[in-house]
Amino acid sequence: MGRKSHTSDPRPPRWAGKLLSIFADPRAEEEIAGDLLELHAYWSKTGSRASANRRYIWNVLKLMRPFAIRKQSNDYPKTYSLTPAMIRNHFTIAIRNFFKSRGYSFINVSGLAVGMSCAILIFLAVRHETSYDLYQSRIHRIYRVETENIKENHTYPGTYTGMTNALHTDMPEVETVVPLLKFSDKTMAVGDNRFRESFIFADNNLFKTFDYQWVSGNPANALAQPNTIVLTRKYAEKYFGKTDVIGKTVRLDNKQDLTVAGVVEDYPSATSFPFDMLVSFPTLKNVNPDFDQNRWNGWNDNFQVFVLLKKGIRPEQLAGRFAAIVEKYIGKGEGEHKRFKFSHLSNIHYSGNLGGRSANVSLLKTLSFIGLLVLLIACFNFINLSTAQAFRRAKEVGIRKAIGSNRKSLVFQFLTEAALITSFAAVGAVVLSVIALPSLANALAIPLTTADLFTWETALFSAVLLVVTTLLAGVYPALRLSGMAPIWTLKSNATQQTSQWVSMRQGLVVVQFTVSLVLISCAMLINRQLDFFRHADLGFDQSAIITVGLPDNTPEKLHAFRDQLLRSPQIRDASFSFNSASAESNWMQSMEYRKGPEVVQVKTQMKMGDSHFLDTYGIKMLAGEPLKDSDTTDFKVIVNEIVLARLGITHPAQAIGERLYFGDGDQFAVIKGVAKNFNVNSLHQKIDPTIIQVVPNNYYQVGVKLQSERPNAASVQTALAHIEKAWTAAFPDQVFEYNFLDETLAQAYQSETRTAKLIEVATFFAVLIACMGLFGLATFTAEQRTKEIGVRKVLGASVASIIGLLSKDFLKLVMIAFLIASPIAWYAMSLWLQNFEFRIQIAWWMFLSAGVLMTLIAVLTVGFQSVKAARLDPVKSLRSE
Amino acid sequence: MKRTFLGEFEELVLLTVAVLEEDAYGVSVTQELEKKTGRIVGFSTVHTTLQRLEEKGYLSSRMGGATAERGGRRKRYFIVTAFGRKALREAKQVREDLWSALSPAALQLMGS
Repeated sequence: MGRKSHTSDPRPPRWAGKLLSIFADPRAEEEIAGDLLELHAYWSKTGSRASANRRYIWNVLKLMRPFAIRKQSNDYPKTYSLTPAMIRNHFTIAIRNFFKSRGYSFINVSGLAVGMSCAILIFLAVRHETSYDLYQSRIHRIYRVETENIKENHTYPGTYTGMTNALHTDMPEVETVVPLLKFSDKTMAVGDNRFRESFIFADNNLFKTFDYQWVSGNPANALAQPNTIVLTRKYAEKYFGKTDVIGKTVRLDNKQDLTVAGVVEDYPSATSFPFDMLVSFPTLKNVNPDFDQNRWNGWNDNFQVFVLLKKGIRPEQLAGRFAAIVEKYIGKGEGEHKRFKFSHLSNIHYSGNLGGRSANVSLLKTLSFIGLLVLLIACFNFINLSTAQAFRRAKEVGIRKAIGSNRKSLVFQFLTEAALITSFAAVGAVVLSVIALPSLANALAIPLTTADLFTWETALFSAVLLVVTTLLAGVYPALRLSGMAPIWTLKSNATQQTSQWVSMRQGLVVVQFTVSLVLISCAMLINRQLDFFRHADLGFDQSAIITVGLPDNTPEKLHAFRDQLLRSPQIRDASFSFNSASAESNWMQSMEYRKGPEVVQVKTQMKMGDSHFLDTYGIKMLAGEPLKDSDTTDFKVIVNEIVLARLGITHPAQAIGERLYFGDGDQFAVIKGVAKNFNVNSLHQKIDPTIIQVVPNNYYQVGVKLQSERPNAASVQTALAHIEKAWTAAFPDQVFEYNFLDETLAQAYQSETRTAKLIEVATFFAVLIACMGLFGLATFTAEQRTKEIGVRKVLGASVASIIGLLSKDFLKLVMIAFLIASPIAWYAMSLWLQNFEFRIQIAWWMFLSAGVLMTLIAVLTVGFQSVKAARLDPVKSLRSE
Repeated sequence: MKRTFLGEFEELVLLTVAVLEEDAYGVSVTQELEKKTGRIVGFSTVHTTLQRLEEKGYLSSRMGGATAERGGRRKRYFIVTAFGRKALREAKQVREDLWSALSPAALQLMGS
């Protein structure tokens, strides 16, 4: 009496209660638990709390019936839906239904086939792009030395030529160092056969680091001596027609004979090292004596260094070694500006590499996303058409349920139907993929062949895709159809459905049209931007200019060459220069302008050309005089308006005579003239401050301006023949190659052109599939309302009003889609346009025109069925009841 | 009909259920038994016996309404079936027959 247990509510141990709820007889658990709680309260009132707990626990233990659960039995026997007979029946019904509604089946199968084909093709592209270099056996230890410019926050794939020796002496953790230097557009000759090739300088460490299969030759010393070369099997056959070619010679640039020291097997397509010709590094001294192999000021991305780290070394451990290398070779305190780091071999394909192909990750992502959308649109078609037809199957479902089918077996039946349609679609998808693969590979510039399509990975992916698509398309209709209450399906007038079904269907149509509209808007805008690229005023003339490389720029030769060129009546002018007025690779130089005590630093682009440069490229002068070929000695230059703006000079005439300092600060150039701005880069970038200077030993190409602005094919042929003759006369034993400037410039927009092409194709298919779905729905609605239309016509409705009645609902959905799609498209496109410094303005009417186009397509799709239904003779539709 | 054997404890429980009339459930039966017999009766024993009696058909049960006490759990109320009443009567009859068969001397020896 008077103990604590009286005041506080006594509770039995919780664990015992848990035990009871698990192990007690499930049928009596509730009353036992209740009774014991009541008793526990009673025991604590009459005795001590401990004894109450003890008695509680004791009773719990005695009441445990762990095996009682198993004794439960069902009142009714279970029906098994997955018996072979039932499965066979499901297939029979599925095939019958497939052929009964052929039109809808066709829409579903073709839509899903296109969608799945998109998915398979994109899978192939992604798999190829992500498989680069993974076959290398030492991949885990191979890294590339990259150079980071900390101020620009940019990492370059190339590095200083001195890095090779620095790594050998200052980084004992590396096992091998593989310097690779790429030379492009060189002439290789075997006898009288000449080829224009690019090749790689490498040493024997290449074979110790990367995997090579040797046909003949010795990997240990093939590239040890100067003047040796290793060919791939393909190139050995191209040059000599056989692979047994050790000891034969190839002549490089008409100067140096190279002895074939080995032949290796061809490289796989997914490699960042697709080199057909490997020239020994010591050869470099003979070919290019000026090349400084210990240079620490300025680098080039054509020189890249790979290393094989010793086992167990992590690249992060070596940051200190690199910092020391920067201090030792570049200078004290340079660590603020420059940093070296290791990039793993598996990442090489995603940045600039010597193979020249890198993955366009954003394009692949966009593509995957769009592919998924196309597949989704096709699935939505299936969902819509199946649920729309629900009433046709309602009686069947009702009867099946009435005679004892359970929901699970009905779900299984409808999924079988979905699987059947998806399987037909999968067969179609494979056929479509085989047809479309070459053009996709071409459009993406990925080396894919039909053989890639028939691999076990693709098969596995297709199987997974089949299952996913079946579930995506089939689950919702299966649940819907099997969920119908038998009572209303069996009532004779059970045609009306709950409003929720309709809104789901409308929602899916809106999604389909939103996707289509976004794609249409994007395709239109991208094409406008590309159009802008083609027709933008670049500030110079790009038409009717032919560019040809110069293997040699000794002044006498060039002089004679020009005289030869200008003899042709087709040729107006010719200019020798470093590169064209606008080019991809440029020479940047820092300039200093001293305005009193103030010093202005300008990073300028150097355009090196002769006195004909401005005339040939049609660049206009604003002030001063044009260049003369004699301006080399006193550094007289022409600058563009941007330079003036940077220097703070407002009037072009004021700039004449001003000095720009360069080099160590003593040398200077004098501004002789001011040129109007012209796009020195592609339209992605701003116009750089530009200086045009006469530097004859940096002439690497000739630009030939033809007489007529729009030459016909015949005059171009004549001009080309003349140029080739003059060129071959000036540079015998070389391979003549030419380019049209406008085509070269267009290549800068290749990536955008590709994106545009792919989005156009995707848009076409998305709209096509969405319209097929809409057509199916319109057909279905028209069929369902035949009687209603008959009655309306009898009562005096006009054909036009009935067409309006049938089309209105669908057009409403297109309108909603338009409202959703426009902001999305606007946002996506304004993001995309940010890639370009020169771009079009997005205007509201662009979206409106996309909307009008979509509405037009929808009207045509729905209109066909509406007109057919509206023109039907009411006598026919009302005759039978 | 074959007579089912009624054990001593079973008979006590059955009787108690009959005594408690409408209010017979696990706890009340246990407490009533303790009160009447004066010995400690295990709840688990009572529960098992009640279940067995129900299986044998002497008792029938129904679940009561939810209560605020005992964690909101319902009680299972038991009532004696007609078969149960018959069994009790028979058991009593057997005893009465035996008592009446007792000789007066023996009866006196028992002190009544």
